Amino acid sequence: MGTFLHLVNGGLGNLAAYLAAHVLLCLLPAFFIAGAMAALIPKASVTRWLGRKTSPRVSYPAAAAAGSLLAVCSCTIVPLFAGIYTKGAGLGPAITFLFFAPAGNVLALAYTGSILGPEFAAARLLLCLVFGIGIGLLMAILFRQDDATRDARTDALFAGEGSMEPAALGLLLALIAALVAGTLKLAVLSATLFSIELPLPFAQSWQSQLLEWVPFDAAKGEEGVTVQGSLLILLLVLIGAAAWQGLENITERANRWTWIALGLAAATLLFAALRLTPTAGGLELAVTGRVLAVAIALWAVLHFGRRLQVDRWQAWLWESWRFVKQVFPLLVVGVFVVGVVRQVIRPEWIESLAGTNDLLANAVAVLFGVFMYFPTLVEVPVARMFLDLGMHPGPLLAYLMADPELSLQSMLMVAAVIGRRKTAAYVALVALFSMSAGLLYGAWVDGAGIARTALLLTGFVAALAGAVAWVERRREGVPHPLHPRGEQR
Amino acid sequence: MTTVKILGSGCANCRKLEAVAREAAASAGVEAEFVKVTDMKTIVDYGVLSTPGLVIDEKLVSSGRIPTQAEVKQWLAA
Repeated sequence: MGTFLHLVNGGLGNLAAYLAAHVLLCLLPAFFIAGAMAALIPKASVTRWLGRKTSPRVSYPAAAAAGSLLAVCSCTIVPLFAGIYTKGAGLGPAITFLFFAPAGNVLALAYTGSILGPEFAAARLLLCLVFGIGIGLLMAILFRQDDATRDARTDALFAGEGSMEPAALGLLLALIAALVAGTLKLAVLSATLFSIELPLPFAQSWQSQLLEWVPFDAAKGEEGVTVQGSLLILLLVLIGAAAWQGLENITERANRWTWIALGLAAATLLFAALRLTPTAGGLELAVTGRVLAVAIALWAVLHFGRRLQVDRWQAWLWESWRFVKQVFPLLVVGVFVVGVVRQVIRPEWIESLAGTNDLLANAVAVLFGVFMYFPTLVEVPVARMFLDLGMHPGPLLAYLMADPELSLQSMLMVAAVIGRRKTAAYVALVALFSMSAGLLYGAWVDGAGIARTALLLTGFVAALAGAVAWVERRREGVPHPLHPRGEQR
Repeated sequence: MTTVKILGSGCANCRKLEAVAREAAASAGVEAEFVKVTDMKTIVDYGVLSTPGLVIDEKLVSSGRIPTQAEVKQWLAA
């Protein structure tokens, strides 16, 4: 019983610390950004570069751009993947799109940056971009004959033109500014402009009560909950309740609760940018540069939001709310479970399996990513746990790359569209590339320097190119024993 | 008899769209048969790159968003 309570307490503590520290300044704006991207970016502005006649030099980068700008949810990922593959630029760009989407979209990047640090987010973005295009090219070469036999009907699906209206672009930029202003660790933003002392004598006893409930231990990666954090959790619950009333039917019309929910969200962002410190006689409230920056960004959001047509901003709010409903419950459960599990796992296990950046550690990390299925974004708190338990950043990145790409769900979806043989090749390539990404990033973290990392990357690409050339030569020389005329679908 | 097709793999937006379309048909007094299309190749054949899509009598009327009830009523009447 005591053990059970200890575990539950670990889970709840992790959840509270997580809600207080990460959700607000990072996830709250990120949900609104994802909603704006889904509702306000005209798909045709990117998809017109994905047609059948587009040169590969344009279509591969365009596929990556589509992955990060348009594919914030499966409503877009699956149809766009099927469309690019069967009617558009073909297998290669479709694979690039599919590979880049889970790592390059704004929710994943903001979240990775907030929990694991900006260098992890940058590494994830960069390596996924390079390797996504690499895997796409490889798949296109491996299944070249098949690509030529695909249905060659018209290009109409990708012929549309589209441009973004200025107000929508302004809104998107203002939201990104709010996210950056809220999370960036800059001296200007942390500086105190002025502070006032509130006569709230119970603040300090409340803080010690919170520390008793949720222990603070930096060595174990425990973050604790501050007085401000506890108030933020309360505000979050209020936003949720108001949003349920105000956003559930937003596509029909807005009501009073809509404005209450939005007002609370803005107030919460401002409040989270303050700095509250319990003192002997009360609570010191410091207004930081961050408050000013967030306020300016929010004003810009309002300014541009008012210029949008009614159905446009309603669609924006609906998409944002849908993301919250879809992702947030899973994240809450996931973070709770991570908190429970980390009470059980001994650091020595992780240390011995994946404490160094070698081939075995990266392979183990990739295998773990393949066999464990975590819902969208839950891979990030899981990764945080491993990092705290002593996993080397290299294998951790390998895991982060393999997990969202190779979940059972996504493999089934891919197999339904492109067939089992190609899916098997794709899975093998992703596993190989993820391990290489881990080894590379690990070497860089260990201090290999830019030159050596670039050398390793070049060597890897050269080895792959050699392998492809070898396969090509074999194909031309000897007919494939099983598929003498190339694979027919 | 009108045929209304909901294109999508069963995501949250598809369910919402179906609810909106059913309510619109009921309040407009249109007798309609509702069909869910989940096969991705068929969906792409309708020219849809972003679900949910709404097809009324084999004509694609909206995709990638949730129309209002008023809009759906107009399309049903057309």
